[in-house]
Amino acid sequence: MQSENTPSCNEVKVVTEVAPQKGRLDFIKEVEKLPGGDKVLDCIQCGLCAGSCPTRFAMDYSPTQILKMINLGMREQVLSSSAIWECSSCHTCATRCPRGVEITTLMMSLKNLSLKENLAESETKPKFHKSFFEVINKYGRLSEAALLTKTMKKSDPKAIMHNASLGLRLARKGKMRLRPEKIEHTADLENMLKKTTGEKKQ
Amino acid sequence: MKYAFYPGCSVHSSTKEYADSAKAICNALDVELVEIPDWNCCGAIDAVYSYEPQYSLALAARNLALAEKMQTDIVVLCSSCYFSLARTNKLFHENAEVKAKITEALGTIGLSYSGGVKVRHLLEVLLTDVGLEKIKAKVKVPLNSYNVASYYGCLLVRPVDLAHFDDPDHPTRMDELVEALGAAKVEYYSKTKCCGASMAVTDEKVMLELSKRILLDAKNSGANCMITACPLCHFNLDAKQRDIESKFSLKIGLPILHFTQLIGLAFGIDNKKLGLNRNIVSPLKITPAAKEIVAK
Repeated sequence: MQSENTPSCNEVKVVTEVAPQKGRLDFIKEVEKLPGGDKVLDCIQCGLCAGSCPTRFAMDYSPTQILKMINLGMREQVLSSSAIWECSSCHTCATRCPRGVEITTLMMSLKNLSLKENLAESETKPKFHKSFFEVINKYGRLSEAALLTKTMKKSDPKAIMHNASLGLRLARKGKMRLRPEKIEHTADLENMLKKTTGEKKQ
Repeated sequence: MKYAFYPGCSVHSSTKEYADSAKAICNALDVELVEIPDWNCCGAIDAVYSYEPQYSLALAARNLALAEKMQTDIVVLCSSCYFSLARTNKLFHENAEVKAKITEALGTIGLSYSGGVKVRHLLEVLLTDVGLEKIKAKVKVPLNSYNVASYYGCLLVRPVDLAHFDDPDHPTRMDELVEALGAAKVEYYSKTKCCGASMAVTDEKVMLELSKRILLDAKNSGANCMITACPLCHFNLDAKQRDIESKFSLKIGLPILHFTQLIGLAFGIDNKKLGLNRNIVSPLKITPAAKEIVAK
């Protein structure tokens, strides 16, 4: 059924022959403390998550390999992998995992750690998360137009044309709201942010 | 029946027809949707949580607190909002640390939350609280010529500790709804496969591939339309369908309806009220039964 146009998997990088890295236990402990990470050592490498993952074809390492790499202490490789950013949070892996590893939540936590450490492999994806945050923190609601213009590669004329054509398609159907919608109590946002992060971000 | 209505950001901008059709059918079924005053972003767990986790939870909790004042359950239209709000609610009940942080953050804006709100998706409310019998009784125009592929996507059925009203791999309750409306259900493999979600912005080629698989599978299985229960899924499958066609040199032309629009059509509600003219792949041109309604 998916025979035509199915992309081939990226070349699978082999991790089985890597020796445990220095600082392995520190990284495992760090991951175990993250949301979704408490059962990371319960993984039995069965491969069900990799087999279930809809975006596996776009990842450098499969989710199963990411779990193994955590076990081996490959901190930098994990946090700079494309795998964690290609996860679309569909929760299929976590739903099927026979060991109850919350892989999807863990992927989100790894994204967060990767951002903090400035190790993200992609330019667009961290920018998307930052832009999303900024739009929400300013208006309280998402403006798709604001998110798109903030995330879009400004230097790439092809990308601009592409988004303009989509924008036109949406506008014609009254599906593009150019002026962002704002909540009434926008001060609430700043106050909650200060309380939850202890500082003003941006 | 009265509910605290949480439309969500996408429904307020790019998929207004989803809210309009939801209100129209709820009106016909005596379900009252009262919009939560000054609601904000659901916390967008995938997008904001990865960037600023505690803030994301506080955003969700503000909505829960506002709804608690209304003393009713929250009803959402978006699977992603459902996930963010329900997950925060669950963490609030199960994780003392999260509860303390949320309580503290809400305290700074003069709100409090005691955990008394349930987060529910409109589809679940219609199937559970209203019931198929009552829906069936309102059908005026049985949708005989519709072969409907019900698309669940991810967060309506997963993770199972939050989304528990249908089976995570082989959900069927939307199909039961389809049949109650006089339409034929289409069995296909991809009904719970991911549409690519926000990758429409961050990694378009992946999203186009994922949505293409779903659309082709439904079409090859005999569908002449598809229903969704999430504005983001709808966006990828409907608004991006032309990009999929041009990238893969395909002709798909599968109209994607919000499930509320399908119910509205069967109820004989005016298609302007259902916003059918706002769907990108027009359901008016392709589906014969819809044509008849336009003619009225």
